[in-house]
Amino acid sequence: MGVAVVKPQGLGRRVSPGLLLVFGLLSVALVATVVWAVWKEARAEWRVWQGRYAALEAGAPVTAEDGARGLQQIWLPDLDRVDRCTSCHLGIAEPERAGAPQPFRAHPGRWLEIHRPDRYGCTACHGGQGEATSYRGAAHGPIPYWPEPMASRELMEARCGTCHRERRPKGTDWLARGRALMADRNCTACHEVPGHDAAEVRAPRLDGLALKVPPSWLRGWLKKPNGYLPKSRMGDFRLSERDVEALAAFLLQPHGKLALDRTDWSKADTEKGGELFRASRCVTCHEVNGRGGTLAPALTHVGAKASRDWLYSWIRDPHRFQPKTLMPRFQFRDDEARDLAAYLSSEYGEAPEGFQASDAAPSPALAEEGRGIYEKRGCYSCHELEGFPALARIGPKLAAIGDRVLEPAPLVARGIRTTLPNWLFTKVSGPERVLDAARMPTFGFAEDEAAAVTVALLSLRAREAPPARTTRDPVRVPPAYGSPTSGGKPYEPQGEFGALVRRYRCLSCHTIGGSGHVTATGAPLSTVRLDRIGSQLTREHLERYIAKPYGVRVALPERMPHLNVAPEEARTLAAYLSTVMVDDAIEGTVPVDAVTVARGKQLFDRHGCVGCHIVGDKGGYVGPDLNGCGARLKPGWAVAWLLEPERWKPGTLEPDHGLTRPEAEALTAYVLSLPARKAKGAGR
Amino acid sequence: MINDIARRLWLSVFRVGWPRTRQTRVEAMLSSFVLHVHPTWVRVHALRPTYTLGLGLVSFYLFLVLTVTGLALMLYYVPHPDAAYRSMKDLEYAVTFGMFLRNAHRWAAHGMVAVVFLHMCRVFLTGAYKAPREFNWVVGVLLLLLTLALSFTGYLLPWDQLAYWAITVGTAIVAYFPVLGPQVRYLLLGGHEIGAAALLRFYVLHCLVLPLAMAFLVALHFWRVRKDGGLSAPPGRLHRRVLAWPHLVFRELLVLVLVLVVIHAAALLFDAPLEEIADATRTPNPAKAPWYFLGLQELVRYGAIFGGVVVPTGLVLALLLLPYLDTHPRGVGVWFAPERRTANAVFVAIALAVVAVTIVGTFFRGPNWAWVWPW
Amino acid sequence: MVAAGTTGLVAGALGLLGALARSVVPDVLYEPPRRFPVGRPGDFPPASATFVSERRLFVFNTPEGFYAISAVCTHLGCNVNHEVGKGFACPCHGSTFEEDGRVRKGPAAWPLPRFSMSLSRRGELVVDTRRTVGADFRLKA
Repeated sequence: MGVAVVKPQGLGRRVSPGLLLVFGLLSVALVATVVWAVWKEARAEWRVWQGRYAALEAGAPVTAEDGARGLQQIWLPDLDRVDRCTSCHLGIAEPERAGAPQPFRAHPGRWLEIHRPDRYGCTACHGGQGEATSYRGAAHGPIPYWPEPMASRELMEARCGTCHRERRPKGTDWLARGRALMADRNCTACHEVPGHDAAEVRAPRLDGLALKVPPSWLRGWLKKPNGYLPKSRMGDFRLSERDVEALAAFLLQPHGKLALDRTDWSKADTEKGGELFRASRCVTCHEVNGRGGTLAPALTHVGAKASRDWLYSWIRDPHRFQPKTLMPRFQFRDDEARDLAAYLSSEYGEAPEGFQASDAAPSPALAEEGRGIYEKRGCYSCHELEGFPALARIGPKLAAIGDRVLEPAPLVARGIRTTLPNWLFTKVSGPERVLDAARMPTFGFAEDEAAAVTVALLSLRAREAPPARTTRDPVRVPPAYGSPTSGGKPYEPQGEFGALVRRYRCLSCHTIGGSGHVTATGAPLSTVRLDRIGSQLTREHLERYIAKPYGVRVALPERMPHLNVAPEEARTLAAYLSTVMVDDAIEGTVPVDAVTVARGKQLFDRHGCVGCHIVGDKGGYVGPDLNGCGARLKPGWAVAWLLEPERWKPGTLEPDHGLTRPEAEALTAYVLSLPARKAKGAGR
Repeated sequence: MINDIARRLWLSVFRVGWPRTRQTRVEAMLSSFVLHVHPTWVRVHALRPTYTLGLGLVSFYLFLVLTVTGLALMLYYVPHPDAAYRSMKDLEYAVTFGMFLRNAHRWAAHGMVAVVFLHMCRVFLTGAYKAPREFNWVVGVLLLLLTLALSFTGYLLPWDQLAYWAITVGTAIVAYFPVLGPQVRYLLLGGHEIGAAALLRFYVLHCLVLPLAMAFLVALHFWRVRKDGGLSAPPGRLHRRVLAWPHLVFRELLVLVLVLVVIHAAALLFDAPLEEIADATRTPNPAKAPWYFLGLQELVRYGAIFGGVVVPTGLVLALLLLPYLDTHPRGVGVWFAPERRTANAVFVAIALAVVAVTIVGTFFRGPNWAWVWPW
Repeated sequence: MVAAGTTGLVAGALGLLGALARSVVPDVLYEPPRRFPVGRPGDFPPASATFVSERRLFVFNTPEGFYAISAVCTHLGCNVNHEVGKGFACPCHGSTFEEDGRVRKGPAAWPLPRFSMSLSRRGELVVDTRRTVGADFRLKA
């Protein structure tokens, strides 16, 4: 630009007027474009909003923690995120701006106290384009080329789940339900799912199926599992009639070397069986007629499914048929087992709708075809079968499903909206809606269940959150029932005690050292951990209770079943628990003089303990009955419990009264001195 | 005193004052570094906009615009796959005038490819490559290739899907070249895939190697224009000449302002595209090379050797050898000289074919490279 | 027309230069924030000086209150060392500073600056390195 300075003199003489006119017009145009560019920059959205916020500040100032102006940026190198949302959302961390108009309104709730904006930014939870400084660009709604629009309230839980890898992350509703459902429906049998372990898969071995079920039941089941179990964990594989026949033919072939025990059914007493059924508290785990536990299959129609002989053999020793079953081997006499089997067979013998079809055996010629179906549909992923190899999982890995990129054309052709959440929801609700030849079964999820699973799936992102930002459940290991070796598991009881623990399947409900069965909710069925039970309860009580359990907490629906543990077995178990399962930190005694007890009584009354606990004949039903609890509880434990209930049992209803140690000791002295009730001592 | 120093300072830089007289107007051109590229006298023929269309000058100005905006963009650009795309977002959202600079750079780059091509057409159609300008034509062809290379290397830098797959396709076309093709691609990418090494290499080529080569060849090109007797004109005629100051200089200024205005308007009205971040696992359908190579991509479809080797090699060789094959001295300095009817017809046919296949590849090819209507 | 054109040209050129100059001024920084929490008051033992290495400053907890002193030598920017009761010493070129940050011995010409400190809503000590304060500054926490 060596000619930047053009003086007018003389130019007009030498250059034509037309050229001069062009010169003038072009110069004006140049100025216009420059002014336009500057104006565009000065009217950038964030600058406009900051101007309006300044006006708001002038009217109602707040003590801003940071009064900085200009483009705001939260830079989170470990998350590889840059969030400039606060350039416009200027009042987001100012509680005083709770009623301000958007975009200045304060963040609702107390979320920013737990997730400080300077450490978590905005888009980690909300999604959207953090780099953007315009409303549209920030992807408040979907925008082209930015795959991560801001999430709705429900789908935001999927983003919680990227860092919070627990089964039940606190404060999430959809996510916790979705993860529980995924565990319950054995998703991890066919898919590799981060956070789920193949050892969690629970399904029966199919050896000796012909001894157990009639063809009519098997046909009905294969056709429609939830026709038999409304909450069937197995999905509907949408098998054709022929496939059902073939698969039934294959499954009803003899597999394995099992044989049934024989008994004389003419002596069976169904009435006694019914009494036994109730006394043993089978409903703690099994549901009948819509009531009961969910740990084990419902028994409402069990008589139409399992033969009497099989039920008898099963009750005598379930572990012979299903080495991995959670069901204990009850200490029944043979005649008790027979009565119980007879009761179940007759009382719950009615076949459900659709299960009354022909009882003719399927043609064995179809068995080979059935074997093909068994393999193709991945039945082996859940069910073990003698002579059938465990092959690879048939489903794709779900590790990055939350970032899956969809091929839109086939979905558009089916009229399915091509967003990832919608695709997942549709697929989970009914895989056949997305793909005719889908191999995945239909689990019959209700709409809200499918939505919950969708949220759980969306939380599985391609790029995991950095470990420092991730929270996880403490490691829980399923009990090693049926496995000959412990295989590096942290704890497996050994010796005589171990044999009893396995026989009575203690770890189906309880945990020891993090080992034990976890229900679909992510917690063990029983809230009683056995790790320090010897320091919590007296040996005499343990022995008594194991031999004949009773309801300590009146309001609790799950009660320990009557396993009919033999007295010497109960002694062995109690002895072991009392000597090994102890925690020295909570051992101790309390002074039991009259003054202390009286002080304890005062505290007991002041804190209104009787609102939840029964003393004498009065009291609430939420907490354990305290009459005679001195025979049950060890004083050191009672003190430790009263001081920090939340530490020993997170989420407990027992309030933390903030007692001092002398207060807790006094309270303990009083409570443990309460006399037992005469009429109702233990059990029924 | 101060006035005196200022005057002396001024005169030490600008040896002559503001040129008013015929003598100073001559001296101004001779004494200024910037202006001495020009002759002191120019043929009126060369000043006629209808003769040159100002295309060479526009190309040069676009190169200047690209240099200035490019330098500003370099301050914010990080040539690494982890950061490059974020740099683009920063330019768009967190750099004042960042988007303006990026848009201007983008449109000026596309414009330059088109204008250099048109400039070549003008030179051919006016027979301006004939002796003694044969070598300058060769330099011009090299400049065209450099322009394409600069645009191509710059295309990868945003590191979005558009960039990634355009370069994937583009370098795949390179690899069709027998024997050398795969090696060249390997060197260009610094590996077998487009990754960090490729991005860095493209960056160095785009910001350093190619611009320096371009600057050198541009200087050579200008110098040869002077040495070859100024812009081409019909020989044997007595040409009226005028002083370059102000007739040439003023016109050049106008063209500069015009270029700026057009580039600004384009930058303000149209945003440069930026798609999702590059993802080697997801191929867009169709994956397209940069638009100026879509003609080649279209041809590769009909035959890899034909489209990837024969046509581009043939075209480049033909262009390079042209002035040495066509030694007929007539028809210089006028558009569509009757003596050159055949040559012009052949050239126009080829140029139109190039434009046509490029348009087909750009607008008429959809998913799976199937025919689509752009409307 | 010539005057208008020339004025426009000059204005346009100046505007472009201005825009170019503005564009090189960064609007956002890829740096840790200059106002940041260093911890709770209880994290700093009484009558102590704690070196916050990643932010290059010392946090002093004195009976009169808290204050923060830069650990960056005002000579050429090395990190100074602190010895209780003896003040600061720069390992690079031998500058030493009194306990309160004043220069005891050159070549450093200026005292170590003190940064503004406040207590956040969450009860954390927050240092603001954008603001320097006088030697009498103490934060009661």
